[in-house]
Amino acid sequence: MRNYLAKRRMTGVLAASVLAATGLMAGSASAKTLTAKGAPSVITVGTLYASTGAFATSSLPQYAGLQFWAKEVNRAGGVYVKAYKKKIKVSIVALNDESNPATATTLYNQLLTQDNVNVLVSDFGSVLTAPAITLAKNQNKLVFDVSGTGTSFFDNGADPNVILTSLPVSSIWPKPLTSLLLQLKTKRVAILYCQNDFDGAQAQAIQGFLTKGGVTPVYFQGVPTSQTDYSTLLQSIKATNPDAVLELGYPNNDIAFLNELASTGTHFKFALTIFPGQLPALFVKDVGVKALAYTFTYAEPPTVAYNKVNIGLGTTAFQRAFAPADPSSVNFLNVAGYNAGLAVQAALQNATSLSPAGLHAGITAVSGKLQTLEGNFRINNAGAQVGELLPMGQIHPAGNRIAVKIIKPAIAAEIPMVNAKTLYPAPKG
Amino acid sequence: MGLFEFALLSGVMYGLFYAFVGIGLNLLFGVMRVVNLAHGDLIVFGGYLAYVVENDWHIGPLWAIPISIPMGLVFGYVLYYVTMPRLRRSADTETTSLILFFGISQVLQAIATIVFGANQVTLPSLGAPVRIFGQNYSLSAVVSAAISVPALLLLYAYLYRTRLGLETRAVMADQEEALASGVRVRRVAVTAFMIGVAFAAAAGSLAMFMLGGVNPVTGSQLTVTAFTVIIIGSLGNPLGTAVGGLLYGLTASLTQAYLTEWTGMVPYVLLLMVVLLRPSGLFGKRARIA
Repeated sequence: MRNYLAKRRMTGVLAASVLAATGLMAGSASAKTLTAKGAPSVITVGTLYASTGAFATSSLPQYAGLQFWAKEVNRAGGVYVKAYKKKIKVSIVALNDESNPATATTLYNQLLTQDNVNVLVSDFGSVLTAPAITLAKNQNKLVFDVSGTGTSFFDNGADPNVILTSLPVSSIWPKPLTSLLLQLKTKRVAILYCQNDFDGAQAQAIQGFLTKGGVTPVYFQGVPTSQTDYSTLLQSIKATNPDAVLELGYPNNDIAFLNELASTGTHFKFALTIFPGQLPALFVKDVGVKALAYTFTYAEPPTVAYNKVNIGLGTTAFQRAFAPADPSSVNFLNVAGYNAGLAVQAALQNATSLSPAGLHAGITAVSGKLQTLEGNFRINNAGAQVGELLPMGQIHPAGNRIAVKIIKPAIAAEIPMVNAKTLYPAPKG
Repeated sequence: MGLFEFALLSGVMYGLFYAFVGIGLNLLFGVMRVVNLAHGDLIVFGGYLAYVVENDWHIGPLWAIPISIPMGLVFGYVLYYVTMPRLRRSADTETTSLILFFGISQVLQAIATIVFGANQVTLPSLGAPVRIFGQNYSLSAVVSAAISVPALLLLYAYLYRTRLGLETRAVMADQEEALASGVRVRRVAVTAFMIGVAFAAAAGSLAMFMLGGVNPVTGSQLTVTAFTVIIIGSLGNPLGTAVGGLLYGLTASLTQAYLTEWTGMVPYVLLLMVVLLRPSGLFGKRARIA
């Protein structure tokens, strides 16, 4: 009997543990205040990175890009800070959130309230940026958001707490994609997205653009961001007989989806995933050239090269400086991390104070005028990036690597970059 | 064959895999009443072994299974004698085991990060898809099911066809009575520990394919899944784990087919229902409280 009761008690304890562990994946926020005093001996840039977990593959290269920026700036004697009319060296204070939003909440708060950093730069992606936005809104701080494009981040109207430095906000990001789909006269579009700010917002935007173009998606479903089993989902999508399939996830989702396509011998006329364009080497390693061949993705720097810049290095120069031994190994997230540093630099160069409002005014002053290695840096009133629009790409095999060919520009400046015709229906790899 | 039939068969394949994932954990709990929060991390190390076997030894990832079993047995033996004697002396073995194995889990994750890096590691598909009833299934899923079934049967044979298995079941039913009846409790415990770890390591090779790869923290989610499976089946009953795994796999698969948006929640709703309606699990023994 005692055994039975013990077992029953443990059942309850374990069930609670399972549910509690699952619940820990969501974050929470607390609010305190931060004050900046006097002219600092160094400008502290607080940021988070994920050394492990689902976002490590993206977070680490982004962090490496930011570190590179700091190293470059310090080599030149520091960053010019208009508020103090002198160059000041930069120091990065980086903490490891291990891809956990709850940990990120605590650490962002630590950066703001204990480390009193001058500038806050968020970790990769919407999931790990969301806690920073919440804290910034509560504490009236400013976040330099590198790659969190979720639409909900930019809803603070005329008093924004966020500056999106790379990638267009999700609500406009997919415009060239939907334009391509309508141009190809696809009528049956299937959209499978992960339930997070980034993918959910993109999915909603795509659905909206397509509906305006007279196309109602035949499949529109969300799955958890932790999804790795796509077997039944693929079968459900196949049953809708789609002309195009859009899988909107993070790298681990995209890898699992593409591997499932390959392992079940499934071929769609148009299959899109987001991250092969950002992390081509990772996808070649984990998915293989054959499985990636002729699928679609967004073409991103350094595939899209901007060499005429007025701040920092141009794309090609950055590649050579960042990875002299193998410039082709540089990926988009290295570029994004560096670009975030450039945005911070521009804000400091133009801000009359280091307060959140001062920094915001500083970066707003150069919006539309900055030409970086990601293109034209332009933010709207809510702090959302609306300038660095991404063209569409299609993946071509290139020996044991892949080449993301640019097939449809997003803006006029990208028209000369188009270097391939769209292969639709996509040939089998 | 339509979507429903596909989802059923796919759910069975994944369910068998989940049963394989959970069975070692349940054996450990059933015999020793310890909560092994490092179970998922042991599975992950099995996955890394498959990665090494494929990429460094070039002999095919499935060879990791026969290699992982003796390695798991030895590691389980060592881990038992490092942890259990001290754990047994604590006032509350179950709670202390939670803390102890949480610590071991963190250590294993740190080791995995140092050795294999933070990024996910994956393996290419085992081969061309398999056509069953007019539908394509990945060879990996079919092979995984084909390996999980004999593994589960092997454990069944051990428990119900061997003397040590009989003693194991006696310890699971009531350790003190088993001890009073002359059952070699320590021998049963160390054997269960070794088998539990070996099963976890072997399941890791399949996890490489069924989960699309592993990274240092994949183990945490796997531990949650394993606990869910064994709670549904019933704690301490390895056979219940097989049914728990199948129910979990079928629920997940059918939800993906028909209630996609609820995919992340429904298996845990099943867990809640089982806990509320039948707290000892589907295969737990009823007892009269007098």
